[in-house]
Amino acid sequence: MSTAIELKGITKSFGNTAIIRGVNLAIPRGERHAIIGPNGAGKSTLFNLISGRYPVTQGEILLNGEVVTGLKPFQINRKGLSRSFQITNIFPRMSVFENIRCAVLWTLGYKYSFWHRLGGLKDANLRTEEVMESIGLKARRDTLAGVLSYAEQRALEIGITIAGGAGVILLDEPTAGMSRTETADAVELIRKVSQGKTLIMVEHDMGVVFDLADRISVLVYGEVIASDKPENIRGNPAVQEAYLGTEAH
Amino acid sequence: MARLKYRPLNLGRWLVWGGTALLMILLPQILTAGFTLTLLSQIGVGIIFALSYNMLLGQGGMLSFGHAVYSGMGAYFTVHALNLISKGAFYFPVTLTPLIGGVAGAFFGVIFGYVTTKKSGTTFAMISLGIGEMVAACSLMFAGFFGGEAGISTNRVIGEAFLGISYGPSIQVYYLIVGWALICMVAMFAWTQTPLGRMANAVRDNPERAEFVGYDTHMVRFLTLVISGFFAGIAGGLSCINYEIVTAENVGALRSAGVLIATFIGGAGFFFGPIIGSIVFFTMVTAIGSITQAWAFYLGLLFLVIVLYAPGGFASLIAMHVPVIKARLMRRLWLPYSAALATGIALLAGLVSVVEMTYHFSTEAGANPNMKLFGLAFNVTHAAPWAVASALLVGGFIISRFAWNLVGRTWADIVHILQEQSA
Ligand SMILES: Nc1ncnc2c1ncn2[C@@H]1O[C@H](COP(=O)(O)OP(=O)(O)O)[C@@H](O)[C@H]1O
Ligand SMILES: [Mg+2]
Repeated sequence: MSTAIELKGITKSFGNTAIIRGVNLAIPRGERHAIIGPNGAGKSTLFNLISGRYPVTQGEILLNGEVVTGLKPFQINRKGLSRSFQITNIFPRMSVFENIRCAVLWTLGYKYSFWHRLGGLKDANLRTEEVMESIGLKARRDTLAGVLSYAEQRALEIGITIAGGAGVILLDEPTAGMSRTETADAVELIRKVSQGKTLIMVEHDMGVVFDLADRISVLVYGEVIASDKPENIRGNPAVQEAYLGTEAH
Repeated sequence: MARLKYRPLNLGRWLVWGGTALLMILLPQILTAGFTLTLLSQIGVGIIFALSYNMLLGQGGMLSFGHAVYSGMGAYFTVHALNLISKGAFYFPVTLTPLIGGVAGAFFGVIFGYVTTKKSGTTFAMISLGIGEMVAACSLMFAGFFGGEAGISTNRVIGEAFLGISYGPSIQVYYLIVGWALICMVAMFAWTQTPLGRMANAVRDNPERAEFVGYDTHMVRFLTLVISGFFAGIAGGLSCINYEIVTAENVGALRSAGVLIATFIGGAGFFFGPIIGSIVFFTMVTAIGSITQAWAFYLGLLFLVIVLYAPGGFASLIAMHVPVIKARLMRRLWLPYSAALATGIALLAGLVSVVEMTYHFSTEAGANPNMKLFGLAFNVTHAAPWAVASALLVGGFIISRFAWNLVGRTWADIVHILQEQSA
């Protein structure tokens, strides 16, 4: 049982349009896995299916060997899967600190408690400080998330995703829209926070992908046309034709 | 549990709570107008009710049109409990009977909450309205429990006085209300500082993200509603003790609208907003209501002005001055504010004159055309008073515009300075 995520014949249609068309994929525990593919290929949709945001049309999803198809996002999250969003999805009216703390409460067992005082939750507050430190937002502790810069919001997005300590992490285009130096910082951050975890990331920047990924899957029109080590993907003629040739000039 | 311990001494917070308590205790000694005690008791109960409402609206982002269901059911259960206690069916101290209301409120929160809280936004608002209508309809159907048109009466004086407390005199009831109001205020404030309270904010701001950090948004809203129902029920229980009667009005749409208006006027975005809101609301209902029939018109107008020009309510108006005071810039505002106040008074005098004269003209002018306003006696069928009133209204409006422009420009300057300071 060393497979973190397994997709078996996953399809997804919106109305009559099939967006995901029979995806099979197994990602072993501890792997850093990148999903690449042209715009509109269905990468985000795939993440939405795995994380329970959308129901699958057909197929089965296993998380650590357990079927999670049909479960709600919060149920899947409680089983140890956490995700970030391509379009920043944070709590804009809360401070950076509160954003992160909201993301650690459930795993630390505080759940729906109305008999604990937040200020007195040593473990939650310590963990929150730790996460802020690791995403480099310690200095912005009390700033409202909504007024952070774009790169800071993206870092917070990752912070919220990893704060709960999930073993499987899905990052949807974590470096999109970032400058070169910001991207380099983000790569280091992702490398650090995914240590010892299973990471699946959708990424456009080929530098980032070849830098981080142990394995790469190429998604084109809702189908995985290749899934292999980075060096093999680079040389794969089908991939070059379908994707790299047009994107990476 | 060790985690429950509070910070050793949060001086500011103690001062605020202590000051509030002291004020509530001393007010009946300071104010002695006839309706003071009635008004203060209403405000005390209203504060609990509005704060419980704001757990939904302000903290949870749920706009309810049927919150009176929970306070009203709390009131009905309290009234029946009081009647049973006085018959000797069981023993329970009157002081604690609001708890029965609280449990009833929470119970109906459980019953109705599960469906209501499935969705937030418009769906929540519509379902809360539907449940409010349903319960109001039930109050006519089940006359045994709800007492039909007459309602259910009770007597809060039961048995021997304990330490001189019989709850006969209304001042004793006022202090009962103050005691409960202080406990409930502290408890509801504490709630905002708990994991559930914080996640209610999270679910309000971004329900989707909350689900992806492990929270069932439905459950968060549901539990929030149950707890809110509990405090609303306590408010209902107290109003039952205060009036010794509970009628269908207690669960009605008017009561639900009232708490919405009070909360909104005070400001849903701040914990203390609904407290201010209750004070303003009941002052308008009772104090202004004792002077003029047109009180509801003024209340509606105030609500309108707040919604249009200060959607954050009085609390946000107060809060926006805090950074100005800290930056020692208030002195720039005194002149514009004085101008706005003076012109505002002229405008208000004109408005009140026109409204009061219209009321008098349309209701009793046939029988008695003479009326008194601001200490002046005049005949409402004559043209002169109308001319003066209209002149005040129009003139007041025009000069108010100048004053408000000045206020606006000064504020723009201040915001500019504050931004430069923070940059
Ligand atoms: N909720 C939805 N309803 C209908 N169509 C959708 C929805 N979500 C995504 N799609 C469509 O699915 C296709 C794949 O989108 P997406 O998964 O976002 O692609 P990408 O690979 O760029 O992340 C697009 O054509 C998009 O329009
Ligand atoms: Mg995408």
